[in-house]
Amino acid sequence: MAQNINPHYASSSNPAKQNEDTIKLKDNHAVSKRLQKELMELMRCADKGISAFPESENLFKWIGTINGPQDTVYAGHKYKLSLEFPNSYPYAPPMVKFITPCFHPNVDTCGLICLDILKDKWTALYDVRTVLLSIQSLLAEPNTHSPLNQQASYLWPNQPAYKKYVDEFYNKHRDS
Amino acid sequence: MSSTEPSQNKTWELSLYELHRTPQEVITDATEIAVSPRSLHSELMCPICLDMLKKTMTTKECLHRFCNDCIITALRSGNKECPTCRKKLVSKRSLRPDPNFDLLISKIYPSRDEYEAHQERLLTKLSMSHSQASLVNSITEGIKLQSQNRPQRSRKNHEESSNTSNSNGNTENAQNGSSGAAPAAPKDGSSSMSNPAPSGQSTSNPASVRSTPSPVPSNISSVSKNTSTTKRAKSILTSERSEESESSDGRTEGENSMDTEGEGEPLNPNEIELVFKPHPTEMTGDNQLMRALRDSSVRYLKTTANASVDHLSKYLAMRLTLDLDAELPEAYRLLNFCIYVAPAPGQFVPLAGSQTLRQINDKFWKVNKPLEMYYSWKKT
Repeated sequence: MAQNINPHYASSSNPAKQNEDTIKLKDNHAVSKRLQKELMELMRCADKGISAFPESENLFKWIGTINGPQDTVYAGHKYKLSLEFPNSYPYAPPMVKFITPCFHPNVDTCGLICLDILKDKWTALYDVRTVLLSIQSLLAEPNTHSPLNQQASYLWPNQPAYKKYVDEFYNKHRDS
Repeated sequence: MSSTEPSQNKTWELSLYELHRTPQEVITDATEIAVSPRSLHSELMCPICLDMLKKTMTTKECLHRFCNDCIITALRSGNKECPTCRKKLVSKRSLRPDPNFDLLISKIYPSRDEYEAHQERLLTKLSMSHSQASLVNSITEGIKLQSQNRPQRSRKNHEESSNTSNSNGNTENAQNGSSGAAPAAPKDGSSSMSNPAPSGQSTSNPASVRSTPSPVPSNISSVSKNTSTTKRAKSILTSERSEESESSDGRTEGENSMDTEGEGEPLNPNEIELVFKPHPTEMTGDNQLMRALRDSSVRYLKTTANASVDHLSKYLAMRLTLDLDAELPEAYRLLNFCIYVAPAPGQFVPLAGSQTLRQINDKFWKVNKPLEMYYSWKKT
């Protein structure tokens, strides 16, 4: 929990600032506590097809993986995502991005995801596990009405062609 | 319908379950019903902070519970809806305090501070073990240990195909490490019991012997399992302790392998590893003791070099009596052990009680592998 121990804070001379800092520190502590609990739970009972682990010492940045859902064009693919948690987590959603390029109507070329629960439909009850599961099911059922990736959206109705394209796309990009 | 003429054609539209169920016996004795602490905790937990509810607030309409602080923050920072079911929550006034629930929690967990302190400790432990750096550390550590032990172990395995538990345990540990499941988690109380005594202790006391009966997992590990189960039995309602026991349960595998690793460590010159086998001709299948021992007749020990043959036979008598316990009738006291060394195949030299292991090793055992000794026992 290196992010909680900052000697700079302790030596702060301004009392008002110190007060503000301690509040932030306390909040920060609550956030990391919750993240640790999530991690513990994830490690205890791993779901099939998803996994997540903090990227480094920093508990506020995780790397998640999603297996493409069975019986979809994404079956057999494995996607890496980054999850960044704000200090206001879990009251605000984490920033979730695909690291492995993903050809999908609701994922843009930078890996940004258009998913309501990561924006206005977020509630504090969602966690890493539910987020990853939601993204996994988004892969299976894209919302083609408000696409971020027009090409994918057009191609989606033609599943065999889509599958062929996605496989080529995946094989070309998975190592980059 | 049926209710008008209850005597005939009685159809109560019972479900299949209701048709088949038998009434449950009323519990009148002191039988206790165990509730898994985890399932209990999930009921008493705030779904926002994942901690135990603190100053419980209940939504007036949908009756979902949260900590006061958590739900206030959630309402302030997000949508005006119930975080659990999205029912509209206009303001704080859509919530009401639930002091009865707080009371209930304080009844179940009387010392909340203690519980929280325990949670803190658990989390610190976790955070120490979760980080990638420590993961990498534990993996390299494991690899180092493995490579240190490999030559010794492969010889042993070659000799005793039954002694595969060592190397198995070790790879398990490495796998645990790489999959990220509690890598080299810091040990808790129960594991300190399961650790073999530090070598310093055994040098000071020549009679102290560490043993690994084969091929069953070491008795050492069974000790640690026992402690965790007794712990569990005690902690029906206190998830603080259960967490510990569960986590130690989960780690038993890793601990086992650590223990066995400890035995494979480079030998202290004052220590001697030896393999105890039953005497091939005197301890045949019809021997009472052999029958009782079945698979665990071969014993692996590591002890100090100044232990004498007398020490060993006393140890054997004690150890085997403990292991067999009720299986052996009282008449068969395990006292008359004769210990042999076999400098050449088929040639068994009985050993005098006063000889120390170092003397035997120097005199008979020229090869660089664990000293092999044979024991025989006769009914008095």
